[in-house]
Amino acid sequence: MLIKDFRRDFYDVLQHQRVLILVAFDVDALCACKILQYLFQCDQVLYTVVPVNGLQGVENAFLENAEGIKHVILINCGASVDIVELLQPEDNVRFYICDSHRPVDIHNYYNAVQVKLLMRGEELSVPSYDEVFRDDESSESDTENDDPELGGKKKRFDDEAILRRQERRRWKENRVKLLFDYTKFTSFGTSAALVMFELAWKLSKDTNNLLWLAIVGVTDQQIHYRTPREKYMEDVLALQVHVSRHNQRGDDDENLLSVNCLRVSFEEELHLSLYRHWSLFDSICHSTSVACKLKLWSLKGQKKLHEFLAEMGLPLAQCKQQYSAMESTLKSEVKEKMQTFMHKYGLEIQDIILPSFTMQYGYKSVLCAADHVMMCAALLESIDKSKMLTDYFLDGTEVLQRSNQEKMDSGVDAAKHQLRSMVKQIQSFIDMHQIISAGPFLYVFIQEGAADSRFFSHPQCLIRLARFTLEAHCNVTRNKRARILPLILGAPLMNEEGSTLVVGIPPLDTDDERKNFFGKAFEQAAESTNTSAKFNSFESHVIEMKSEDKSKFFDAMIGLLQ
Amino acid sequence: MLAEKALDLIRELQRTLSGTLSPYNEDKIRQVLEEMQNLYDQNRDRAHYAAGQADVFAAIQLRHAAIQRNKRCLLAYLYNRLEQIRKMRWEFGSVLPSDVRYNMCEQEVQWFTQYNRQLANYMKTIGESGGLDLTQDMKPPKTLYVLVRCIMDHGEFETQDGNIILLKKNSQHYLLRSECEHLIRQGILEHLVH
Repeated sequence: MLIKDFRRDFYDVLQHQRVLILVAFDVDALCACKILQYLFQCDQVLYTVVPVNGLQGVENAFLENAEGIKHVILINCGASVDIVELLQPEDNVRFYICDSHRPVDIHNYYNAVQVKLLMRGEELSVPSYDEVFRDDESSESDTENDDPELGGKKKRFDDEAILRRQERRRWKENRVKLLFDYTKFTSFGTSAALVMFELAWKLSKDTNNLLWLAIVGVTDQQIHYRTPREKYMEDVLALQVHVSRHNQRGDDDENLLSVNCLRVSFEEELHLSLYRHWSLFDSICHSTSVACKLKLWSLKGQKKLHEFLAEMGLPLAQCKQQYSAMESTLKSEVKEKMQTFMHKYGLEIQDIILPSFTMQYGYKSVLCAADHVMMCAALLESIDKSKMLTDYFLDGTEVLQRSNQEKMDSGVDAAKHQLRSMVKQIQSFIDMHQIISAGPFLYVFIQEGAADSRFFSHPQCLIRLARFTLEAHCNVTRNKRARILPLILGAPLMNEEGSTLVVGIPPLDTDDERKNFFGKAFEQAAESTNTSAKFNSFESHVIEMKSEDKSKFFDAMIGLLQ
Repeated sequence: MLAEKALDLIRELQRTLSGTLSPYNEDKIRQVLEEMQNLYDQNRDRAHYAAGQADVFAAIQLRHAAIQRNKRCLLAYLYNRLEQIRKMRWEFGSVLPSDVRYNMCEQEVQWFTQYNRQLANYMKTIGESGGLDLTQDMKPPKTLYVLVRCIMDHGEFETQDGNIILLKKNSQHYLLRSECEHLIRQGILEHLVH
């Protein structure tokens, strides 16, 4: 059931209760969890936070921690499966689901007692109740069972019964069709962090800190290609109102904020990854859209970049040193100059500028939202084998905390590492012509034992790589159809020999929708070929399967999508 | 030299004042006492013909001062040790760690049990029902609840209100401070500070 008044139906209910919070492994969920933790600490609500990885994780975490718990909050997980069916909880357990995954399972939506959904209602287009559920279903089937025994007596109702049955069949067909249409595409709704922040706002407990978390959550959706640009802009505008409300400064000197406050400001950011913590040159080489447009993995592309920099009047020596050490006059001109000269190099404004936020705390350097997301995501999907999954989670939370400079630096390093290996991987895809068109879609596999393959055994990183690859491919290939083809990317899993992590992303052409049909397609392909694919991830377009089933599975996919 | 050994005792005390209790130095105390006895005996022998002789009188006075000094040092040694033990009672509770107990002498142990009994009796009489544990919250806590993170798998933990919490590695909990304080001390939980 959808909750209308978050405060009355969600927050107030939880007062003086013990709550279990299950959090998915993504930056948005982490931010939402931090906001909620803050609120709970204000009101002294006892809680337990357990990070969960995949549906199996939700099940285990619930089993382990469910004792005596009556309220379970799921953040960025669980909306797209029938949670009551999955967990088999006792009748008095309530689930509060704050999840940006769409579509929401209809059983969750129509369960008025046990499941409460914390999301914006207008984003859901759930089929109406009568179309998918029938209250008389059970009694109907009863009479049907009885029919043969009582056949003789009921003969005269035959016409009626046939009519009724016909009507039911029609209803069933309609239901199947409706449900198929409803679940055909998976997409993402409003970020969980933003939803939580709005709750905090309604409770008048919003602070600049929480606002920053909400910003990071929304930016995460943009960085991992979850929401289309339009939706992102909408959220940014909503956030900007809060930003100017919280960072209001008077004109006279007395009202100036102390330097020890967190200051958040709206900015037209350069859409280059981590450039404040890197050199400008490296940053350009590792930013998706610019690198793809200029084909920076090739020699020609590199020349073009040099030309571009020369035309902007940025000396190479300056560009190749740490951005923070660049001459300040040059630094202040970079954004402007890039915008003046970009058209000549086929770049568009979206490739270079991203409306975003920056924050500053004390005399530390400025941090922009996108970089913060990258750091956190890189630590969440770290490749450090000595640590457990949950350690990554704690590292991620510490980075969001921003208090530990060492952790922040390690986050920057990890993010750089990821980006470097991503570009290297794409270079080898392109150079070796590994991206193959299978007709209705493109596919590419990372060889087992490839140098940096361990980075790509994590879903979020793999999705970014897939998107990078697809954009790169579209810019290189002569095939005009490439833009309307989706891409499937497979990478060997680090922890399990012989398993492959497969992700499917929609074609570039439909970029302003960001709807993904691979969830359903994978499911059907696995069904028809009897492959034992694991649909463990919260994103249905990410699956695990045995490497030897690959070819069988892909034949089915080709058949399916044609 | 006169009263040197007593000074050693004080120095020893000084070295170990921070936190730990040094072993009760019975040997040295005996030596100091012997020295005092010696000085006393000498004084007594001389006292008979001291009258009128200024030099003997001065010697007696010097010895007497040394005796007084030794006495003060001994008392300081004993008193400070008791203070230390009392502090530990508030820190560690009624059962002292074995290494501390091992370093105490018999009289000190006796004193400790008496002190314990008195304190317990006193705490029973104050407060409304069943007394009040004064040793908790020596400084007023900022919050009643703290955010803790579990460092190792500990298994289930039952809170005062009967809830059962599974303390699994790396899970985070928001718990009553008084309940998890001892778990933090044992190194099972870690207090997360914001």
